[in-house]
Amino acid sequence: MGAIAAGIAAFGAALGAGIGNGFVISHTIDGMARQPEMSGALRGTMFIGVGLIEAMPILAIVIGFLVMNK
Amino acid sequence: MGGEAYTFKLFGLTFNATNVISGTIIFVLVFFVLFGLSRHLQMKPKGGQNVIEWLIEFTNGIVREQMPASEVGNYSFLAFVLFAFIFFSNQLGLIFQIGWNGNEIVRSPTADPVVTLTFSLSMIMLAHFAGISKNGLKHYFGSYLKPYAVMLPINLVEEFANFLTLGLRLFGNIFAGELLLKLLGQMAFSHGVPTILVSLPLEIVWQGFSVFIGAIQAYVFVTLTTVYISQKVSAEE
Repeated sequence: MGAIAAGIAAFGAALGAGIGNGFVISHTIDGMARQPEMSGALRGTMFIGVGLIEAMPILAIVIGFLVMNK
Repeated sequence: MGGEAYTFKLFGLTFNATNVISGTIIFVLVFFVLFGLSRHLQMKPKGGQNVIEWLIEFTNGIVREQMPASEVGNYSFLAFVLFAFIFFSNQLGLIFQIGWNGNEIVRSPTADPVVTLTFSLSMIMLAHFAGISKNGLKHYFGSYLKPYAVMLPINLVEEFANFLTLGLRLFGNIFAGELLLKLLGQMAFSHGVPTILVSLPLEIVWQGFSVFIGAIQAYVFVTLTTVYISQKVSAEE
């Protein structure tokens, strides 16, 4: 049972992190293509965005690990 | 290399010996590194002084971006110390994991939710206190009603959400990284040589990625702390 719960948690986490990060990074690449001189600032803001977005998916993975063996 | 439980002792209160020992190691390490890098300061820096000057420039830049110009001098030192401490804490668990009798003694202090929530609570309380001491109590209470009075519950929930996510983001990233290192280690020794050959490159790649994540999370924590402080401190016209 715990393994199924962990699998569902990991599914949600991977989906959320993938789609969320995909949006942020793709718009950053668009911005860098438009204005190459801004790419330093855009890169820094992208890392902040990724760090913020990944908070919830990582917590979902931690919950998955916690219930994995129950 | 156990990993299941944490040692604790009681003097009427419960103390987490693992956090105390790991935290003390980090204090001593950060102090000696920064102390050693800042000896013999010269006008034309060379060697260690370059490193510490770059680090101070880096955290000053974070504060300068987020805060109004009159407040930058007050908080740049806080950002520097916070960044150094959290960065070293995140990396400690990738270098040392010392266990004894099935319990852990040394790991990243930030892999414990209590430690990261303590950091987060101190920073949020600092922001509120700085806001009150700079702008007064009336402005502080008024700020909860700020765009419209009906937003009061949303503003209150936002404060709690900031506190929880700031702490749990750091905890989740570091704890998940260390847990996966342990699981890869267990997998490596479970079936003899073939699993060792498969797990070794995975473990190396994951170690490298965790170094990167530790640095990013320290940067995100310091940036968000600065943003929260500047939200409370900047006076609105």
